Amino acid sequence: MSIAPKPHSALLIVGHGSTENPDSSTPYFEHADEIRSRRLFAEVHCCFWKEEPSMREALYMIDADEIYVVPDFISEGYFTQDVIPRELELTGPTTVVRGKTLHYCLPVGVHRSMTGLILHRAKEVAPNVNPAETTLIITGHGTGLNQNSTKAIRDQAELIAASGAGYAAVLDAYMEEQPFIAKWDEMSQTPNVIVVPFFISDGLHSFQDIPVLLGIENEVGPAASQRDAFRQNPHHLRGKTLFYTSAIGTERLMADVILDQISDFNKEHKSL
Amino acid sequence: MSTALELRNLIRSGFHRIGQILFQTDVYGYPYVICHHEDAELSTEPAFGGLDVYHGPEAAREISTYAEDGTYRFTKGQTNLKRGWVMTLENEEDLRQAVDQFYPACLGLFLAQRDGTLDVQNLRDKLNRQTGMYRFARTVSDAGAQQLVQTICGPAHQCAKRILWKIDENTPLDDSEASRFKGIVGDLPETAAIPLLCREACNHFVAECRRVAKAEFEKKDGA
Repeated sequence: MSIAPKPHSALLIVGHGSTENPDSSTPYFEHADEIRSRRLFAEVHCCFWKEEPSMREALYMIDADEIYVVPDFISEGYFTQDVIPRELELTGPTTVVRGKTLHYCLPVGVHRSMTGLILHRAKEVAPNVNPAETTLIITGHGTGLNQNSTKAIRDQAELIAASGAGYAAVLDAYMEEQPFIAKWDEMSQTPNVIVVPFFISDGLHSFQDIPVLLGIENEVGPAASQRDAFRQNPHHLRGKTLFYTSAIGTERLMADVILDQISDFNKEHKSL
Repeated sequence: MSTALELRNLIRSGFHRIGQILFQTDVYGYPYVICHHEDAELSTEPAFGGLDVYHGPEAAREISTYAEDGTYRFTKGQTNLKRGWVMTLENEEDLRQAVDQFYPACLGLFLAQRDGTLDVQNLRDKLNRQTGMYRFARTVSDAGAQQLVQTICGPAHQCAKRILWKIDENTPLDDSEASRFKGIVGDLPETAAIPLLCREACNHFVAECRRVAKAEFEKKDGA
């Protein structure tokens, strides 16, 4: 989807960030760099929950009077519905905060174009496996804080199952709520299993925690940028052939999903 | 006026530092050159004295992510910025982008303070709006919070920001090196350096408040 240039507007990409793993914020900066290179906005900035600039500080670095705020998050949930509106003092889709007009778009992960990204990533990691003999598992964090946080993943699993991609099964699984990703082998009836982490970055959860839950590693290892080599697929574990991909958010095409969400916001809320 | 042009004017009026970064103009034909202030002499030698040369602001994130000893710099006000590099910048916009990467939002915060539009948030207001796992941080005692300022803030603990907030409207921070610090690294006058400002407690401080609040609760519970 193309988007008309907005030379008088700013884009503010909101990410989670981490005080422990610097790889966590890498995709946000890459998405910002990609969009900045297209010269669609007067300014493109990132801000974070756990890193700097914070959301409240970010407004001080923006000159433009109109700001599109896009949560670079994988689901609607605690952060997008509670934390970001609170921190940016948003009261609806469009809010004027200290003289600036902020448009609050939906998070990238709930956009329909994510389905294609997941299928692309699965095909990329296991190009020669027969989908009919393969279970595709989309995995996320899961949290008791907000029931919506797993909805994006459940939706994607249903969309892919109905898409004709041919996988024997398409399942959702989580780190901290049922169905647990640690039981990936029990929930899969096929010899091949592809696990796609529905996270923005190859950070603490997707690169360090989930490999332990899958059994790829015995203990939490160093961050991706601190390793000499990336892991090699496939992994022969628990009597199955397992393929584990990079986080979906590291996909270069995510920059387009950010723009898609802005385009959808304008269609929904602004008469252009 | 845009932030980039404000920065140009500040430099023209004599400001040449922010945090540990030195601004220089017209070096070997480059409009702007920045480096670690301790590399000032090398940066004006031929071939930049052997420093690693980066053209454009893109490398700023990589340079500012890790300290020399490999420590992850998750707060950018830390006084452990790596040395050994120099960055050339073609215009004020690129300079501003680099500065915003090394010291996120600090330029805008300084301009807002200068113009009287900076909204400072005291610690209690910040803690009281926390939810989820950080909700418990609001129960930290004033004494516990005051102690934290002295154990994690200020240059002695590698933070170069000037704290603008109080515990609450009626409770200023106790006098300490951290509460007195002006946000300027080294012995420079306020007319020469853009100070790093802390307009509200950072996420790290809130996380520490939660830790202390839990310890206080457990101590009380066990008494």
